[in-house]
Amino acid sequence: MRTGIFFVIIILIFTAARLGNGEEKVKMNQKISLPSENNGWKWDGKEMRYNSKTLFSYMDGAAELYLTYGFQNLTVRRLERSDQPSITCELYEMASSEDAYGVFSYEHQDETAEIGQGSEFGGGLLRFWKGKYFVSIYAEGEGAEVESGMLKMGRAVANSIPGVGPEPKLIGFIPGKDLGLVDKSVRYLKSHVLLNQRFFISHQNILNLNPKTGAVLAQYLQNKQKTQLLLIRYPDLNEAANAYQSFMDAYLPDARGKDRSKIEDRKWTSARQRNEYVVIVFGAPTEAAAEALLKATEEKLPGGH
Amino acid sequence: MKGKIITRRDFLRVAAGTAVAATMAPGIQLEARAEPTAKVILIRNAEVLGPQDQVQEEVLRSMLDVAVKNLLGTNAPLEAWGKLFKGSDVVGIKSNEWQKLPTPKELEVAIKRRLLDAGVAEKNIGIDDRGVLNNPIFLNATALVNVRPLRTHHWSGVGTCLKNYIQFVPNRPDYHEEGCSPLGKIWTYPIVKGKTRLNILSAITPQFYGRGANFFDKRYVWPYKGLIVGTDPVAVDTVGAHLLQSKRIAFFGEDKSLDVPPIHITVADKKYHLGVSDLSRIQLTKLGWMEEVLI
Repeated sequence: MRTGIFFVIIILIFTAARLGNGEEKVKMNQKISLPSENNGWKWDGKEMRYNSKTLFSYMDGAAELYLTYGFQNLTVRRLERSDQPSITCELYEMASSEDAYGVFSYEHQDETAEIGQGSEFGGGLLRFWKGKYFVSIYAEGEGAEVESGMLKMGRAVANSIPGVGPEPKLIGFIPGKDLGLVDKSVRYLKSHVLLNQRFFISHQNILNLNPKTGAVLAQYLQNKQKTQLLLIRYPDLNEAANAYQSFMDAYLPDARGKDRSKIEDRKWTSARQRNEYVVIVFGAPTEAAAEALLKATEEKLPGGH
Repeated sequence: MKGKIITRRDFLRVAAGTAVAATMAPGIQLEARAEPTAKVILIRNAEVLGPQDQVQEEVLRSMLDVAVKNLLGTNAPLEAWGKLFKGSDVVGIKSNEWQKLPTPKELEVAIKRRLLDAGVAEKNIGIDDRGVLNNPIFLNATALVNVRPLRTHHWSGVGTCLKNYIQFVPNRPDYHEEGCSPLGKIWTYPIVKGKTRLNILSAITPQFYGRGANFFDKRYVWPYKGLIVGTDPVAVDTVGAHLLQSKRIAFFGEDKSLDVPPIHITVADKKYHLGVSDLSRIQLTKLGWMEEVLI
C-alpha cells in the first residue's frame, strides 16, 4: 500500500513538473504574430526575420542600438492596400522589458498614442513598447486614412502581446514635474556611446559606463532654462567611486575639491556620488538650481531620506 | 588625440566648428592661415523637382555640368570631366542606396553619362553601395566618384561623403566609436586612397534632423533642390553639415542637437589630412536659385 502511494506521489510530481515545464516553454517560445490583414491592408506574404548576426543587413549602421539593449530578434512585415501607402511593421524582441523601454525611450519625442506601455506617434511613425517587445510601424506615405490604419495596426499588435513588464527601476529615482521634468526627454541608456548620442559628454568613456551599469538622462525645464540630469547606477560602491573621480578629473578639474563648477557656457555643472549611484547636473542656470536638482535626486535614491 | 580627453566643455569653449580643432591641435588656427583653401560649388535649381517631387533628369544633369565646370574652372563641362578622368580609368561610382533617402537614380545616370563622354569604357564603370567589396570594378578602380544624399546620421551626426566610404570596410561597427571619428582612416586604405576625383552631396531633399537609428521623418526633409560638389571631401562635408545646421536653426529656432556632433569631419582634416574643415578657408561658390539658400 505504502509503495503504491509512493509511486502515485512520484508520478504526480513528475506530471506536475512536466506540465510546469510545458507551460513555461509555451510562455518562453510564444510567437507574437504581426497582422496579416488589418483595416483593408493586407500582408504581402513575405516575412523577414533577423537575428543579432543578420540585423546589420536590415539597417544602415543602426543595429548597434538594438544590440546594446539585448536584441533577440526582429520580425518585419509589409502590408499593402491598393488605394493607400504601404505600412511596414517591425517587431523587436528584446532581452527584457527594461530593454524594450530603453529602446523606446532612446528616441522618444512625439505625443503618446496610448498604445502598449508607452508610445508615440508623429511624422508617419508609430513606436511603442509592451513587455519585452518594441514595435515600430511606419507608412510609405501620408494621409489621415493611413495614419488611422497605422494606429489600428499598432493596437492589434499590442493586443497580441501577452502581459506587461516593468520599467527600469532607475527611472523611478529621478525628480518629477515639480522640478520641471520633460517627460519625453527621459532616456534609459546602457552605454557611453548611446549617452554621447543623446548628450555629448566626452569622446572617451570617462564615466566608465559598461554592460553592468544603467543610466538615466533627463531634461528639466524651468523658466525656459534647460538643465540635464544624469543618474548612473554602478554594480558597487567602488566602481561608483572610481567613475565619479574619473569624471571629476576629466570634466571638472577646475572644481578644486568642490563638487561643482561654473563652466564655459556660464552655467553650473555639479556632480555627486551617493553609495553606488553617481548624479550629475549639467547646465543649471544657477548654483542653487543645480543643488536643488541634485538634492531632490539624492532624496529619491534608496536610503535617501 | 592620445592623452587629451575631448569633452563637452571643449565644444562650449570655442565657437562651433573650431572647438575640436583647437583642442586636438593647439595653435592650429594660427597655422591655418598659411594652409591651402578648398573650393566647393553649391548649385540649386528650383525646377529640379517636378510633380510628385520627381527628379527632373535633364535639369539635374545641367546642374551637375555647371557645378563641375565651375569647380574645374573650364569653359565647358566635358572639358572639366576630361580633366578629372582618363579614358583608361576604371571608375567606381560609390552611391548610397539607403531605401528611405537614396542617391537619386537620375544623378547616378548623369554621372555615368559624363564618364562615358570623358571616354571611360562602359565596362569600366560601376555603380554600387553595399556591394563594393565584392564588385570587381571597385576592387580594380583607378578612380572613384563619391555621391550620396545629405542627411543627418545616427552614429556620425551627418551622413555625408566621408561616411559614404564605410562600405569599403568589412568591420563597419569598428568605425562607429567616438562619433565615427575613425571614418577618415578608411580613406587611407589602398582600396580608396587617392582615387576619389569628385565628391557630390545630393542636397535635393536633405534631411536636417533625425533621431536614432534607421530614422526618417518627412517633417525634417525639405526641397532644397541643390548639389554640393567638390574634390575635397572634408570641405564638401563641412559645407553640407553647415547647411543642415543652418536649416535646424531656421526650423527649430535653435541648433537642436544631433545624435552626435559631426566631429569626424574635423578629425578627417586634423588627423588624417584629407581636406579642409575650417569654413573660413573654404571658398564656397553659390550658383543658380538663391531663394532661402541659408548659407
